[in-house]
Amino acid sequence: MIAARALGAMLLVAAAAPPIAAHHTGVYTPKDNAITENFKQVKFSAQAGKFDVALRLYDGGPLRAEMRARAAALPDGLEGRTRAALVAHDAAEAERGLAVFFVALARDLALEADRQLAAGAPAATIGARFLEAIWRYYNLADFVVGQRDARASVAMRLAYDDAETLARLSSGAPDAARLRASFTRLAQILSNLIETTTPLRRNS
Amino acid sequence: MIPPPNATWHLPPRGVLLAAVVLLVAAEVGGASMGRYKLELARWARTGMLEHPAVHGLVGVRDVDERVLDEALFRFDAGLRLFHMHAEGMALVVIATTTVAATLARAPAARRGLILLLTVGGVGYPLGYLIWSVLIPAYGVERSKAIAEWLVWIPFGGATIVALLWLAALTATRMVRR
Repeated sequence: MIAARALGAMLLVAAAAPPIAAHHTGVYTPKDNAITENFKQVKFSAQAGKFDVALRLYDGGPLRAEMRARAAALPDGLEGRTRAALVAHDAAEAERGLAVFFVALARDLALEADRQLAAGAPAATIGARFLEAIWRYYNLADFVVGQRDARASVAMRLAYDDAETLARLSSGAPDAARLRASFTRLAQILSNLIETTTPLRRNS
Repeated sequence: MIPPPNATWHLPPRGVLLAAVVLLVAAEVGGASMGRYKLELARWARTGMLEHPAVHGLVGVRDVDERVLDEALFRFDAGLRLFHMHAEGMALVVIATTTVAATLARAPAARRGLILLLTVGGVGYPLGYLIWSVLIPAYGVERSKAIAEWLVWIPFGGATIVALLWLAALTATRMVRR
């Protein structure tokens, strides 16, 4: 009788626990991709004054390859000017060039998200996925952006927060039209940032 | 507490021991295969994921999709690792708990019931992690988890929990009545 009562009490406790929490399935920590990892290597080497290391990492890394592959969508000569800054031991200028590159990547993602939403892609998937990728890139440039144009940095953060709120609505799917407007605004802010942050040509 | 001089441990049925040893073998083979075929397994999983873009919410943009694929591959690998570890652990748990049940449960029906629950639950539960991993490429992380949850983890894990609670109560009763 005692055993039956004890068993009953313990079963009640066990039944009250939610099943999902019972099964530990690991915690995923997002990793850097090859480009962001190479960016950090170059940036920290340059900041430490190890420009020979920074240049070697830049010349042989995926960051420069990606800048070259996307040259058409980037400000004229951005890759060349960034490399020239590394050669000239100008860490701030090199970092600025790389920041512009990441802002451009984020802008292209915002434009692509808008295009896919316009083509009828599911807003629930597009919103969260693209916003995460945009922030991953913009986050790398935010410090440089904030130093040069604090208002633009705040505007970007506010626009991002708005878009994220729309994308993560708890009730039902996000409104595709409003989400498109959010991505358009993000793209606009990022385009302006590219214009204001792009290093001027040294010979102009 | 010092056991009485005539106390002896009773072995569970040999079928139970065989099931536990087979589970242990599966755990070791699984662990070894994970190391030996790490690349092949990851390639297989990635190919399966790319064949089911809608399931994984892939959007066709590398910068977006790589994070999704990376997380799904991490879960796939975690499932295999958790199978390896749980299979190793549960095999020993089955042997230990069924031995206690065979020794302490005097009523034949209770003994059989306990041993059956402990064996079936203990051997079945780790397979849920393997099933979860295998289903991830075709069904996605969350849906696969739900399938494994309802098909394996809840019934088999539940059986183990019920049997262990029963065994704990039985052991406590034996202590009180001594």
